[in-house]
Amino acid sequence: MATTNPTESLGVPEPLPRGQNVTRSSVSRSPRSRRLTLALYLAILPTLVLLGLFTYYPDINGLVHSLTNWEPGFGSPWVGLANYQTMIHDTLWIESFQHVGEFFIFAVTLMWIFPLFLAEVLITLSSARWRFVFRSLLIVPLAFPGVVQVLIWEFLYDPNSGAINHFLHVIGLGGLAQNWLGNPHLALLSLIFINFPWVAGLPFLIFAAGLQNIPKEVFDAALIDGAGRWRRFRSIDLPMLLRQIRLLFFLAVIQVLQYGYAAFIATNGGPNNATTVPVLRMLNVAFDADEWGYAAALSTVLLLVMVVVSGLALLLSRGRKDKSAPDPSSRPAALA
Amino acid sequence: MAVTDLTTTREARGSAVPHRRTGAVSKPRVRLSKRTRRTDRIAGTILAVFAFIGLFPYLYMLETSLKSNRQFNASYWAPSFPLHFHNYVSAWGDVAPYILTSLIVAAVTMVGCVFLGSVTAFVLGRFEFPGRRIFFGFIAVLLMVPGIASIIPLFTFMHSLNLLNTYPDLIIPQLAAQTVLAVVLMKTFVEQIPQTLFDAAAVDGASSARLYWNIMLPLARPIIGTVAVLSVIAVWSEYFWPELTITTNSLRTVPVGLQFFQGELTTSYGPLFAGYLIASAPLLILFVFLSRYFLAGIQGGLVAEQ
Repeated sequence: MATTNPTESLGVPEPLPRGQNVTRSSVSRSPRSRRLTLALYLAILPTLVLLGLFTYYPDINGLVHSLTNWEPGFGSPWVGLANYQTMIHDTLWIESFQHVGEFFIFAVTLMWIFPLFLAEVLITLSSARWRFVFRSLLIVPLAFPGVVQVLIWEFLYDPNSGAINHFLHVIGLGGLAQNWLGNPHLALLSLIFINFPWVAGLPFLIFAAGLQNIPKEVFDAALIDGAGRWRRFRSIDLPMLLRQIRLLFFLAVIQVLQYGYAAFIATNGGPNNATTVPVLRMLNVAFDADEWGYAAALSTVLLLVMVVVSGLALLLSRGRKDKSAPDPSSRPAALA
Repeated sequence: MAVTDLTTTREARGSAVPHRRTGAVSKPRVRLSKRTRRTDRIAGTILAVFAFIGLFPYLYMLETSLKSNRQFNASYWAPSFPLHFHNYVSAWGDVAPYILTSLIVAAVTMVGCVFLGSVTAFVLGRFEFPGRRIFFGFIAVLLMVPGIASIIPLFTFMHSLNLLNTYPDLIIPQLAAQTVLAVVLMKTFVEQIPQTLFDAAAVDGASSARLYWNIMLPLARPIIGTVAVLSVIAVWSEYFWPELTITTNSLRTVPVGLQFFQGELTTSYGPLFAGYLIASAPLLILFVFLSRYFLAGIQGGLVAEQ
């Protein structure tokens, strides 16, 4: 029986330290070994069949049919790379990436700055109980289904009965009232500002947890060394959060590539295609234009891009873990 | 404002900050705690303001869900009496089928992915046999393939199986996605269970199936909780798949059902918002009572990717 080193990586990095106590079951070395191995294969078979049939098969099928003029239920004449050539000249497809690019710029700036600022303010509170109360209040919107979040913001943006225009009228700025989602120049920005101030989300949870995990002694040492709040933020907090920020960066890429349902509900890509995103373009090509081969090509491209980005994120986070983790207690030296 | 009574500083509660207390240069204690109090007040105010901004849409939804149309038009901002609890009654009739469908889909997904995930994780995490690493790679690599990227080919496949607009159509893709996550999360967990526990039981003659049932499952309870909550969250978030494949109203899950419901009730904000709140209730309940699992679930995909 192969004796693999149990602590070596299995193709995915392990988030938690792996104990040295993980040895392979001694059961498998018994004389019944062969029968047991068969039983083991049988035990994982349902999972493998499920995933093989409903994820691997369709994905590969889509990849193959992206090279055809796919008409599901009828024929699929081979067209080679024609669909991909169409894609390169598809202005809507290219624009859709510009739109998510704009989204991305916000996702890695303002959508981090607010959560980071509030996480910093949160850990400044001296009472653990109040920290808990405010943290809970800040993340409550997370508990609402995504669609409800979008629908309620769609209402806030409503030109006639929406709360934003009403509020502008109340404070005497009625002239600024807009058709937020109906104006091609504002629609994308309005979609981006859904869920403002973007605190109820993963970045805030991660920043708050990361800051809370920095030992109090480090902060105290910094204080004794005369480091002010801003200095501490730059020299301790940010470096300590670097690993999480890198992870969030890749997550943001994947999230904007997947972005779609909010735009579908609130604007349906309009007005004038101002909010078309890759996912919506792909679905339009399939379900409205009925060009399944072309849609499969777009879908394949999306899939490959996401796999590459995830793979990159994985590789980087693994590479980092090989180096010894920075010893928190050695950090304040940087202040000296 | 409640924040002002934050008088307990870290020092006052006596938690260990030895440097400060023993340090020769430490400032007089009264001044320090006064400063802490001022910082607390400022921090509390900032947090309260942002918490209010973040919560405002939901508070407004709650308030408006109790108004009639006339009350909404007459008093846009302030609460207006009498409260129209009837809005909830009328919304319930529309929203209940969506909740029921979602609960069925979530329950089957939950049971299925906990079962498949725990068995597979147990086998892949505790036994050495040919192909073990390949099988795990085969499953784990799917973490990188978001459902939206498979939606086109999966649609044609489900169409060819004549499964569109059925329960299996709703359940199977969810089950596949959640099983991937469950295997990866649970395998990491299973590998950390000390071998001595299994050895002791094996010496007593316990079969592998008993080891799974009597040792692994009870120990894995926290991770099972996370995976289970995650199934519910997933069903309450999945939008495009049911939107594209379901046309029977009673088979609509909450996300697509709500949008349909919104189309029907465009201008009756009271019942509309009551419906939104009712449909959100299951997630809100999980958030309040199982917040540990809920937050672990939200971060689940991330943990798996880390």
